Amino acid sequence: MISPQNVLRHELIGLNVLVASASNPSHVGVCGRIIDETRNTLVIETGRGLKRIPKKYSIFQIRLPGECVVEVDGSALVAQPDKRITMRIQV
Amino acid sequence: MAAKARKTNHRRLARERIEALFRQAALFYPENPEWSRRCVERARKIAMRQRVRIDRRFKRRFCRRCNAYLVPGANMRVRIHRGCVIVTCLVCGHRSRYPAVRSQHG
Repeated sequence: MISPQNVLRHELIGLNVLVASASNPSHVGVCGRIIDETRNTLVIETGRGLKRIPKKYSIFQIRLPGECVVEVDGSALVAQPDKRITMRIQV
Repeated sequence: MAAKARKTNHRRLARERIEALFRQAALFYPENPEWSRRCVERARKIAMRQRVRIDRRFKRRFCRRCNAYLVPGANMRVRIHRGCVIVTCLVCGHRSRYPAVRSQHG
């Protein structure tokens, strides 16, 4: 199951997320459900339409099932979704 | 040995992700079938890259040509014809045929 140890490699679609910090100030505070994921962006469904947020230079607060919230640096997510399984995590 | 352990771990993760994606595709379908199509596309990509089979519960729930998530009665037609189950995708018209003789396939 998805846990704070494997969020970087697990599926993000369908999870609730909050953009805690971003290089674009208008992206900060965007919150909703993840609909789609590309190599560099996440598409989030908010109450006011779909927002495409770049992963790089953003920090996301991801709510996992079971009321557990993890803060993830978006730069660590930059990879094609299917390649994230095998990628090495660089600190 | 460590490489082998890593590989099994990746495959286990891949299976979990495929299952999560199909669950999500079912949830997205009433809202926006295009989102569920993207989920199926993603799940198949993972399955192909990690060389994992798609579980029997899910393998007939999508169109192999256009990746649409198929819901019986909505965008999928299931007919029996000459010993074959013919599944028609009503999105793109693709027909998949499966043998109808063996009962263990779902």
